[in-house]
Amino acid sequence: MTTPELSFTLPDNLSDQDLLEGLGEMFRLEPDNRSGGYRTVYHDSFDWRIYQAGGVLAETHGATSHCLEWRDRKNGALLGTQPLTRTFRRFVRDWKSGEMRERLEPVLEMRAVLPRVELESDVRGYRLLNEDDKTVVRLLLEQSRSRLSGDTGEFRPLGRRLRLLPVRGYDRELAEATTLLMGRFQLRQTAPVMLDEALAAIGRRPGDYSAKLDFQFKPDQRADTVVREIHLFLLDIIEANVGGLIADVDSEFLHDLRVAVRRIRSALNQIPRVFPEEAEPFRSEFAWLGKITGPTRDLDVYLLEFGRYRNSLPEPFRADLDPLRDFLTAHRKVEQRKLVKHLKSARFQKLCAEWRAFLESPPPRSPSASNAARPIREVADRQIRKMFKRVLKEGMALHADSPPAELHELRKSSKKLRYLMEFFQNLYPAKEISPLIKSLKKLLDALGMFQDREVQANKLRQFAHQMEQEGTVQTDTLLAMGMLVDGLLRGQQEAHADFLRRFSMFAAKGNQKILRQLIASTATDQERTE
Amino acid sequence: MRIIGVYNIKGGVGKTATAVNLAYLSARDGYRTLVWDLDPQGAASYYFRIKPRIKGGSKNMVRGKQDLDELIKGTDFENLDLLPADFSYRHMDLVLEDAKKPTKQLLNLLRPLSYEYDRVFLDCPPSISLVSENIFRAADILLVPMIPTTLSVRTYKQLLDFFADHKVGGLRMLPFFSMVDRRKSMHRDLLSQLPAVYGELLRTVIPYASDVEKMGIHRAPLGRFASHCPAQHAYERLWKEVQQWL
Repeated sequence: MTTPELSFTLPDNLSDQDLLEGLGEMFRLEPDNRSGGYRTVYHDSFDWRIYQAGGVLAETHGATSHCLEWRDRKNGALLGTQPLTRTFRRFVRDWKSGEMRERLEPVLEMRAVLPRVELESDVRGYRLLNEDDKTVVRLLLEQSRSRLSGDTGEFRPLGRRLRLLPVRGYDRELAEATTLLMGRFQLRQTAPVMLDEALAAIGRRPGDYSAKLDFQFKPDQRADTVVREIHLFLLDIIEANVGGLIADVDSEFLHDLRVAVRRIRSALNQIPRVFPEEAEPFRSEFAWLGKITGPTRDLDVYLLEFGRYRNSLPEPFRADLDPLRDFLTAHRKVEQRKLVKHLKSARFQKLCAEWRAFLESPPPRSPSASNAARPIREVADRQIRKMFKRVLKEGMALHADSPPAELHELRKSSKKLRYLMEFFQNLYPAKEISPLIKSLKKLLDALGMFQDREVQANKLRQFAHQMEQEGTVQTDTLLAMGMLVDGLLRGQQEAHADFLRRFSMFAAKGNQKILRQLIASTATDQERTE
Repeated sequence: MRIIGVYNIKGGVGKTATAVNLAYLSARDGYRTLVWDLDPQGAASYYFRIKPRIKGGSKNMVRGKQDLDELIKGTDFENLDLLPADFSYRHMDLVLEDAKKPTKQLLNLLRPLSYEYDRVFLDCPPSISLVSENIFRAADILLVPMIPTTLSVRTYKQLLDFFADHKVGGLRMLPFFSMVDRRKSMHRDLLSQLPAVYGELLRTVIPYASDVEKMGIHRAPLGRFASHCPAQHAYERLWKEVQQWL
């Protein structure tokens, strides 16, 4: 393994001259051709997937090279590199095939890689030589400044730093130089990857966008205060995604926005009587937002699935399916344009502004809504209990021949239960609630698999008719789509069996007992005996 | 990881200069590059100012007692490392013969490095031996520098015959003219005749140049001390051409 590079912060009172003289007593120093101005752009997805997976991706513009470097964010070790001979491609799937693409594709999936932070560095480079005039360590003195990508304002300065780049096989010399720097000059080591520091200099931190719910409520907090906090977080998610959605960067902006809308609607319905009357009109407005974002998302799903669809057909038929992709792409373009219009509309702006104003206004001291002033734990217990009972009832009634509509009802109830449990999960011991949520997610996946296949099969039939009406489709394409529909419907049967298994796992006596205990604290006597 | 063998049955055709200069360009482009100096004479190691010596010799290495990882040395250039030669490499055939699957040993030794390097150059000793067979199995492409003389062409034919007799799947042969002196009529003649006979010949021609000989004085690739000389430009063109096959 290559020894990772070492970085040190340089105090203001230590001059480069003093440092170099000190090192010069031990090694012969030669200026390196690395001296000069460098530009680095750190790339990551909107939700920082590379960073979350322990890496950083830097596009470096040097004097002679322009490449993409993927490094370990803790020790700076190079995990992969790729010269950039053409403009940077946003989607990993469009990168040159190779190990880097293979390893980053599962991390980024459908997310675009975007420039996040820019770094400019003035570098003075030296080589430390041994008695054969062989380079044994490289040393860089750097002064950098950063700004957010796309920002046209001033760069903000970072602290001066000294970097020691190891030369493989010369660890002894590296250790000698390190001892000198840390001993005689009292230098302190710092993270070799500058991304955190570059972000800190502009008042940001990586991972400052995450759509994951992670609340810290207290059981006795007033319900309306807690619910406002939940809604504010969800509104933030909506607003954070609008820019990327309008710019059509990748499909996840719309996905995250839609999940937030669904959660808002679920919270409005499933945590009742916490808000005054004036909150009522928002229900229909969020229903509208759910509706207008639907068509683009539907087409996104087919486009995301397209590769899998194509590969599910025998090789000779795969190319026949390609006109479907063109059809989907063309229609998506139209829907996306309509969606952007809606997102720029006064109605959408008003919805966000008024909802925020409502949520940020102080809750009434003596609220009229009956649950508003209740402790949140009590409200959460009651709602989870109610929904859990409904899920059990609906699930138990199902059998191998149940009509899809009944499964659909169960899916809706299960999703409501999942959202409730996720909103309030920190009110319950993690050890107990987490496995329940996980098991519920698996049940939902199985239900989704069942239902989505049927929906997709029906939708494909609808597309086939539409393509025919538009008058461009070849018979071979229709046949290939027919094969796809057949495959989906067969898959649906398998998903049905899987669902029954998942449900019995979720509804296992053990789980029921745990959940009953969790939510028993505030149950009324009548509820307890039920 | 892509493995590039630089090989000719005949010696003195510019193998080491090719391996060293192309590896330098590969590293300059940002690829993590390793040169394995397999020639016991250790010329590539010398060019990089690294002692041609490995702990335990080739015996311990082939027998797996010494990981390649620990033997690698960084050169003076970023992204460019070297696995030094060792005088014991002259007996490597004997060591390989004792091993199981004797023709796949080098590939097995290189495998653990596949996440660490993007490009590996094998600077091979001349002659056909068990070592060269190992190289043919390990490499994705085989660069064959060839001086445009009748003798060189003859050895190239020998190599093709060898390949015809031994199954070496997936190896792409890329011969090219090296050490070309256009003042010599034989060089000029063969330069114009051979591409029609050997379609695989690369277009780039490396001229004979005293700068290449000076690599031994500077102990560095051309790019370090003669980045604008015609030979360096020729290596840049060659590298561009080779990359199309990687």
